[in-house]
Amino acid sequence: MTVTGALTILWYALAPFLWLMVTGLLLLVVVQVLAHLRGYRLLGYRCLGANLAAIAIGLSGLWWIPLFTNSSLTYVATVFDWAALIGAVIGLAVIAWLVLSPLSYLLRVRQPSPP
Amino acid sequence: MSRHARDPSRLDRRQFLKLSAGAGAAGLLYSSGLQARSVSTNARIVIIGGGAGGMAMANRLSRRLDGARISLVEPREVHHYQPGWTLVASGVWRPEKTMRPNSRFVPGGVDWVRQPAAGIDAANRKVELGDGSQLDYDYLVVATGLQLNYHLIDGMSPDLVGSHGIGSVYASIEGAARTRDAIDSWIAQGSGKGIFTAAPTPVKCAGAPLKMTFTTLSRLEASGRRDAFQVEFMAPGAGLFSQPYVNDFVKQRFDDQGVTRRHHYRISAIDPQAREAEFTFVGPDSEFTSHHELREAEFSAEGERKVVTDYDFIHVVPPMSAPDFVKASDLIAQDGPFRGEWLDVDIYTLQHNRYPEVFGIGDVIGAPINKTAASVKAQAPVVEANLIAQIQGQALPLRHNGYTSCPMITGIGKAMLVEFGYEDNFAFLPSFPFIDPRDESWAAWVMKDRMLQPAYYAVLEGQA
Repeated sequence: MTVTGALTILWYALAPFLWLMVTGLLLLVVVQVLAHLRGYRLLGYRCLGANLAAIAIGLSGLWWIPLFTNSSLTYVATVFDWAALIGAVIGLAVIAWLVLSPLSYLLRVRQPSPP
Repeated sequence: MSRHARDPSRLDRRQFLKLSAGAGAAGLLYSSGLQARSVSTNARIVIIGGGAGGMAMANRLSRRLDGARISLVEPREVHHYQPGWTLVASGVWRPEKTMRPNSRFVPGGVDWVRQPAAGIDAANRKVELGDGSQLDYDYLVVATGLQLNYHLIDGMSPDLVGSHGIGSVYASIEGAARTRDAIDSWIAQGSGKGIFTAAPTPVKCAGAPLKMTFTTLSRLEASGRRDAFQVEFMAPGAGLFSQPYVNDFVKQRFDDQGVTRRHHYRISAIDPQAREAEFTFVGPDSEFTSHHELREAEFSAEGERKVVTDYDFIHVVPPMSAPDFVKASDLIAQDGPFRGEWLDVDIYTLQHNRYPEVFGIGDVIGAPINKTAASVKAQAPVVEANLIAQIQGQALPLRHNGYTSCPMITGIGKAMLVEFGYEDNFAFLPSFPFIDPRDESWAAWVMKDRMLQPAYYAVLEGQA
């Protein structure tokens, strides 16, 4: 298969979800930029709530990712099935963390600091 | 006759992004030296059929040939993604998901002749069209697809699909949707007998009758009343599928899921009002791989053992053949297993066995397997290279290995990615080392549900 062929397949596969991906990416970039402008550092800020929420969102993928493909977790059977699903869950958790962690920072710094 | 051409000033966002991606890729191809050289010719090339094979060839040849006059004979405005019809008939996809305008795929510079082909005069190199006009050609690509012969089942017509408990996923996209509705009604009935049939001829997507059985079993099990339903599969031969491992797997799975298998029976008549079907015993000599030995006359032979059975739902798979106008031409096989029914091509080079300027692709060709869109993906580069070599008077460089693929849906949500070819008794030819064709998996289902339709459109555009 040619590079053009691979890109064509990818294009057709992703086209229906382009609006979702662009929206998600915009949200991520906006939150990250705003947080960085207010002093947020990716690995320098810790928030247990954001971390737990990101993990929960990632784990929720075990349920809805197979459902999204008109299947169910019951049919995730082979080693490759599990590798693909776990990869998707980890990716989902990381993206969720990249949004939730700076969002949590922004919410905290907005509150007035004690005198 | 009208010419379709892209107007750059009317690019929509989708086309713009696609062209941008294509431009980037083209740059990569150019820099890596992978771009195929174009060939100058003033040859007149006619492609009959704008399905998967015809559209792929129109795109490939228009890209490779400089100066050629290419005509695509296709009356339909809508392109149907037929591999999705089993998902429509199973209630998983909406029908609209399988349809795109043909205008999206017809390349610029190709004459799109919006007429049906009505005949082929191979000796004089002419294609007769539905309006009585003719197209002369120097080279011909026959990509007509096949013909559904419902009329060979007494009392049966595609118009009946969706009524009287009759389903048939092959009939059309509307037929697939009505098949879904017929299955819905049967399940809502709460009990009853369902009969699934197979055809005594080569068929397109030979896995479809099995997939329909499996997806319906999924739905029956989901209803919570599986035991109230009786499911039978009537097969004309001893086998259910040409690939030996999958054949054994499906038989075992049917047995495990309570499907009663009856072999060597073909459906010969149907009485929709009475909801009765007649099956004719075709004898143990009618093995799956020799179904093509049955000739039309034998469909109505007398003195055969017949069984009449009632049903609440029946899935009818009609006998299939090349379209009548191809059968009436000199391009049809004259002898051998495909005589009188299918296009006479060398199954490796895809060149006609008696008319070297004619090539065949897709469902219409006489081949033991290969009536799938996946086969077209493998055949298209072969026909492209061999046709161009023929134009240049060179030896044909490529051979088709018989590659075909069937994502065998074994339930709604799981499938086996079955890929195989001619050699070694239809041995597996897996594309992905990490997906075992013998395993049912979610990944194979995702391929069917999400990735194969994009891959199909890439094939149409000559990109895959």
